Amino acid sequence: MQSKALRRHAPFWFSIFAGIALWEVAGRNSSPAFMVPFSTTIARLWQLTVSGNFISQLVDSAKLFLAGFGLALIVGMPLGLLLARIRILRVGVEPYIMILYATPMVALIPFILSMMGFGFAPKLLVVFLFAVFPVLYNTVEGARSIKPELIEVAKSFRSSEWALWREVMLPYTLPYTMTGVRQAIGRALVGMIAAEFFLSATGFGQLIMSASQNFDTGGVFASMLVIGLLGVALTRLGLLIEQHFARWRQ
Amino acid sequence: MTEQALSTAVAAGQKTQSASSGLSGAWLPRLITGFVILLTWEIVVRVSAPAYVAKPTTVILAIPKVLTEPAFLQALGSTLVAVAEGLVMTIVVGTILGLLMGRSITFDRVFRVYINFFNAMPMIVVLPLFSLWFGYSSGARIATIIFAAIFAITMNVADGARSVPRDYLEVSRSFRSGRLRTLIDIVLPSSMPYLLAGFRLAAGRALIGAVVAEFFLSVGGIGYYILYNSRSYHHNEAFVGVLLLAAFGVGFELLVNWSTRHFMPWYRRDEKST
Repeated sequence: MQSKALRRHAPFWFSIFAGIALWEVAGRNSSPAFMVPFSTTIARLWQLTVSGNFISQLVDSAKLFLAGFGLALIVGMPLGLLLARIRILRVGVEPYIMILYATPMVALIPFILSMMGFGFAPKLLVVFLFAVFPVLYNTVEGARSIKPELIEVAKSFRSSEWALWREVMLPYTLPYTMTGVRQAIGRALVGMIAAEFFLSATGFGQLIMSASQNFDTGGVFASMLVIGLLGVALTRLGLLIEQHFARWRQ
Repeated sequence: MTEQALSTAVAAGQKTQSASSGLSGAWLPRLITGFVILLTWEIVVRVSAPAYVAKPTTVILAIPKVLTEPAFLQALGSTLVAVAEGLVMTIVVGTILGLLMGRSITFDRVFRVYINFFNAMPMIVVLPLFSLWFGYSSGARIATIIFAAIFAITMNVADGARSVPRDYLEVSRSFRSGRLRTLIDIVLPSSMPYLLAGFRLAAGRALIGAVVAEFFLSVGGIGYYILYNSRSYHHNEAFVGVLLLAAFGVGFELLVNWSTRHFMPWYRRDEKST
């Protein structure tokens, strides 16, 4: 049993160590303007953490992410469910949600900048715009998967509106909505960094930008490493949420 | 007996009727919704925003001017060529990597961590690093496009290669076909729907990557055109660029849906999109 687990996990750890070793060797053999080894990155990460700089930027970024993502959920989920229930509204809005879902929202950042300037509100809007359409799009997709017969049967058994929601609408649409939530997590993270790069520089965006402007390659690698790990953690969370609700799906 | 047949026929007739009316009935609410959206936008901007802010009427007036402007056409060409180049490289490398990961457990265990890591990383954080590595050049833009797109293709192809029906592989083995042969003739075609699903994601991300890279690196292209014009308060002209990007985004989506239906009618698209 134990050896089996070892055999399964050995390649994973081997791959991690090999990657770090490769990074270390490549970093030592190239100019520090291009790349720094793993050890220097970790040392720089430690410095940044101790100076408190890192933590305050992390908090800034987290605030932006949570506010934008939260707003997208607060707006997207009820609106999506409303669209799911009122067929005529869904049919009317559907193509526009699809278009906005496929539009690269980054292209709107220059407009937001020149109309709303710097500050928290324009950045919040960017994260919101990145995150809200996956939620809406997938919820509407879920609504389309409900067979009209199911609602008819429920109605002919005189089920109340509440029962209809609980027994038919939610079980059918929520798994799709949660796929949207998972996608929205990834997109909100991109939106967060984009807002921090191109609107007022704060948080992780600023950390990376100022590091690269000061040719502090160690700082660039340290921030990228942390953002990558954060991304992995959030993606995993999104997958867990999605899988939890996917059990409902037939 | 006849009564029953008759009632089924009537029901069938009703069904087709309602289906056809449902289809033609979709256009009216869509048109009305579109009109309401545009009207609201127009009114809100006219009432409460400065004159330079884009609104439907002025954007429409700007379309012919922008589409005949040489600077715009050049920018458009530059971005599209970069996206196309990046996507071709992405598809070739991403597919090979995906096939290897899907068919070899060792390969998969070694590379999966890194593919997951880079795929979960918000792609635009690499821009400052790429600007250090490649300079403020179109090379950095291509690199960004590839980085943005490749992991979506690899992960999807790997999923596809993993889910090849075992029977096919057994038949192929009993005919003594080599590993490479099996990979090209059995695994690759069988992963095609996944490749296409991955391509849909990758194309969208490549477009975003290109625009962001142009913002960041000030490389000429449609993203830079939008940035430049909105900075100089030519919002209407800049918005035409956004409309075009939206059209490409939707175009990729429709292209993939169409080709999945047309070339792979056996495959029913499940809701698989990362």
